[in-house]
Amino acid sequence: MIGLLKSMATTMKHALDGSTFTVEYPKTAPDVSPRFRGVHKWSQERCIWCRQCENVCPNDTIQIVMDDQRNGEQYNLHIGQCIYCRLCEEVCPTDAILLTQNFEFTGDTKQDLVYNKEQLKSVPWYKDIDPLESREPDRGAWIGEGEGEVDYQ
Amino acid sequence: MSTGLEETSDAETVDVTEAELEALIGDRALARDEHENAPGFVVNPDEVQSVLGDLKDEAGYDHLSCVTAQQYEDRYESIYHLKKYDDASDEVSIVVPTTRDDPVSESAEPVFRTADWHEREAYDLVGIEYADHPDLRRILLPETWQGHPLSDDYDQDKPQLVTLAEHENPLADDHHDAESDTMFLNVGPHHPATHGVLHVKTVLDGETIVDVDPDIGYLHRCEEQMCQQGTYRHQIMPYPDRWDYVSSGLLNEWAYARAIEDLADIEVPEYAQVIRTMGAELCRIASHMLALGTFALDVYGEFTAIFQYTFRDREVVQDILEDLTGQRMMFNYFRVGGVAWDLPEPREEFFEQTRDFLDELPAKVAEYNDMVTSNEIFQTRCIDTGVLEPDVAKDYGCTGPVARGSGVDYDLRRDDPYGYYEHLDWDVVTRDGCDNYARVLCRMEEVEESAKIIEQCLDLLEEWPEDDREVQANVPRTLKPDAGSEIYRAVEAAKGELGIYIRSDGTDKPGRFKIRSPCFSNLQALPEMTEGEYIPDLVASLGSLDIVLGEVDR
Amino acid sequence: MNTAPTPLQSDTVLLPELIGDLTGIAEFGVAGELLAAFIGAFIVGSLMLAMTGIAGPWAKRKITAAFTDRIAVNHLGPGGILVIVADSVRLLSKENIIPEDADRPAYDLAPIIIAGSALLGFAVIPMGSGIHLADPEVGLVYVFAVAGIASVGLMMAGYASGNKYSMLGGLRAVAQNIAYEIPLVVTGMSVVLFAGSLRMSEIVAVQNETTLFTIPGLEWAIPAWFALVNPFAFVLFLIANFAEVGRNPFDMPEAPAELVAGYQTEYSSVYFVLVYLGEFLHIFLGGAIITTIFLGGPAGPGPAELGIVWFIIKIWSVFLLTQWLRSAIPRVRIDHLIEIGWKGLLVLSFANLFLTAAIVGVIQ
Repeated sequence: MIGLLKSMATTMKHALDGSTFTVEYPKTAPDVSPRFRGVHKWSQERCIWCRQCENVCPNDTIQIVMDDQRNGEQYNLHIGQCIYCRLCEEVCPTDAILLTQNFEFTGDTKQDLVYNKEQLKSVPWYKDIDPLESREPDRGAWIGEGEGEVDYQ
Repeated sequence: MSTGLEETSDAETVDVTEAELEALIGDRALARDEHENAPGFVVNPDEVQSVLGDLKDEAGYDHLSCVTAQQYEDRYESIYHLKKYDDASDEVSIVVPTTRDDPVSESAEPVFRTADWHEREAYDLVGIEYADHPDLRRILLPETWQGHPLSDDYDQDKPQLVTLAEHENPLADDHHDAESDTMFLNVGPHHPATHGVLHVKTVLDGETIVDVDPDIGYLHRCEEQMCQQGTYRHQIMPYPDRWDYVSSGLLNEWAYARAIEDLADIEVPEYAQVIRTMGAELCRIASHMLALGTFALDVYGEFTAIFQYTFRDREVVQDILEDLTGQRMMFNYFRVGGVAWDLPEPREEFFEQTRDFLDELPAKVAEYNDMVTSNEIFQTRCIDTGVLEPDVAKDYGCTGPVARGSGVDYDLRRDDPYGYYEHLDWDVVTRDGCDNYARVLCRMEEVEESAKIIEQCLDLLEEWPEDDREVQANVPRTLKPDAGSEIYRAVEAAKGELGIYIRSDGTDKPGRFKIRSPCFSNLQALPEMTEGEYIPDLVASLGSLDIVLGEVDR
Repeated sequence: MNTAPTPLQSDTVLLPELIGDLTGIAEFGVAGELLAAFIGAFIVGSLMLAMTGIAGPWAKRKITAAFTDRIAVNHLGPGGILVIVADSVRLLSKENIIPEDADRPAYDLAPIIIAGSALLGFAVIPMGSGIHLADPEVGLVYVFAVAGIASVGLMMAGYASGNKYSMLGGLRAVAQNIAYEIPLVVTGMSVVLFAGSLRMSEIVAVQNETTLFTIPGLEWAIPAWFALVNPFAFVLFLIANFAEVGRNPFDMPEAPAELVAGYQTEYSSVYFVLVYLGEFLHIFLGGAIITTIFLGGPAGPGPAELGIVWFIIKIWSVFLLTQWLRSAIPRVRIDHLIEIGWKGLLVLSFANLFLTAAIVGVIQ
């Protein structure tokens, strides 16, 4: 009986102190960590079409089309398929592809989530956070001094 | 054959040298097969039971951790990874080759009950048949599936049409009897208490459970095959997060990291190990909070306060993990040879945030004790329900809080040390109630132990010299372990022993990648725990097993 | 502050008579009386349904949210109160899915019985401010009787849905109601011993006319509400009542985690609204019975016209208590539930009855 009363007292204490831990989501935008990984943003100026991101992507989310002179033509990214592992950002030597903090995006069909070059360029920053500042990507790990063969595309 | 319930006395479990093992197995060993983690013995397919029986009774290998099946060009192979509950680092592998034409091997089920499901999975995915197996059906795939997906000659492009009606074998016997007093009830695959898509076939007599048969595979996502198609260096690491997807991501990542680091001989910097240890324990807290909350949900009904309180506290942990790793659940934070990043800047803020959480934790645990464990109705619901005797738990290969709630003192963090655990001061929690209540208490106390570990890690990280903060070892860009090298390595995940078996075929992708999921083995014990009890006890037992279907089905 | 509770006369004018007199339709004989009765019933029914409407979609959410540190509905209207409108539109505009295996018309009748039985009970409850539809001599027995009909509805719903979970829910409902109906009625009878009448208005009157004791110095007369006279019976009745209306920790027939909402699994749209309404009406009816026989009915400080306000406050407190228990107390297991009913409450309620009888006998 004491235990039951203790349980009831605990919940009543919570009811009376009036504090809440949930957020009124659409009204108040939640704080996301600077390291948070959201939708990709891509920069054509920076991209050198090395195709490393396409190569490292674990589930073929990125598709790059080039002409026979190795000039980039298309850069498609299937957001609906992405698992947000951030390997593409990590591998990119020029920071051309970044994962912004933006997590708000929708699509009515799967097709809507296939982003092409233009769509990727116009992805907005979330609360003006620059993801690179907080992430200080460790490129050393990618170039490495190990004996493994270096597979340039 | 033994029923597998014999107690092995401590005298027998003292270190068995390889020579003694060789003598014990004797002529039955056709050859030796060295694995990175353990000596392996190749055994004839019709002597599996006698060899495993001897190893269990004479040498004290009472824990069949995992059964791996795979196909080579010339043969099929089943590997039985044996361990001891008393000494997890003492391992031995029994390799059982069978021909390609007639892949029949003797079942280990009469020796270890846990082999039941493991061999069914091997049959289902690879296609090895086990003689004497009591119930050799498909387990993950629908019964009408054509072919065995992990075998060489499987045509992946051939469409498999499995309608709902065809999901079960249409030729199976129909046991329906109009005169019978029992009622067949499908609990799941869509049921609030199954925590995902688990289907429990239940036979009821009134409200008493007569028979329980868990049917799994609804969430099978070919995780093993996906890992086999990824490169060791980067592409596999994002996937472990998705096995046990309720916030134990880092613990899962560690299982893969440990296996590949031992296979490729990579030394991880100590600083990274401390960060890993801290992150893993944060995950454990988050995972146990969720386990407690959902268990309360099952016992209390609907969205009651306790569920919300545990979620509120888990939220804090998730925020810390988000700051550390960049994601709330699918972390992808570990890298082969270290972690992706150092602690977030400013470090003081991170330390403060984490310490605040740890400082508030005791008050919160006290609140849970007020609300849950001291509640009389809760006690009547949980004490002496879902009883799992220690012998039965061992026989079913139960690990983690499920085994520790049954008094089995088995924790890989201590028994097979990895990371930074051996340098820290903490205790393994065991409870000998063997019931739902003991398992809940066990988890709650483990939360406190994890807090202790995190506290010590924070102290270490704070004092770590600034010029020695190396987060990643120097790892070649492409990893190609020697062809034919095999390893089985396990870590203590939130649910128990999460093991990874990798066989390298000389390329940069694994030849075989096998996941030993703790939930898979723990769930097997459900019938033992619930038969003869009531539906509410079934629900409570399922909750106290704390299974995640993503990990059961992989 | 007026401290003396307002005494209520047992021969208060009933609502239909009041309406008849006020509008003049009483002059038309039986037809007029009938019409007046209908209007009265309509007023009481609307009042109760309105309260349920507030409680179901809005108050329940808000209360649960307070216990669980959440915000709950707050977008539509002040404090989110307009969610009631949104919810009613949503529920009523949904397709009414009737399972193929449903046993009709039992399937269709069950929601009506569940909701209707509770509404009938309010007919004899004196709500103060002149709102009292009928005052038969057997008022208390009547109210227990109609409240008991609900279990027929639950059983029908469970059986007719053609779903095994519903079936189990229906069976549990019956087992539970039988086990708890007896302690409920027996405990209720101990009140009758004090009051000396089954008539609701008299039970209320007796409670308020007698003074239990007066707090010296303050001249506050504490009325002899039976909850204060016999707290033991009050607690027993409260527990039996929660079991009877199937509230936590006794929400066996629904038990979402086990039986997937039990008897109401297969109900959708309008039928679901009826079942849901019925559930809340039953909580309020339980509250009304408790208020009437233990808490002095509509009595309270202030003028007699405020009776209905006090009455509503009292039954909402009972509702609040159900939600409080729901947030804090685990569901008992079905076999424990039956055990508590037959071995615990039944014995205690008879002990209470005999004890009360002895005490009343000695006093008289």
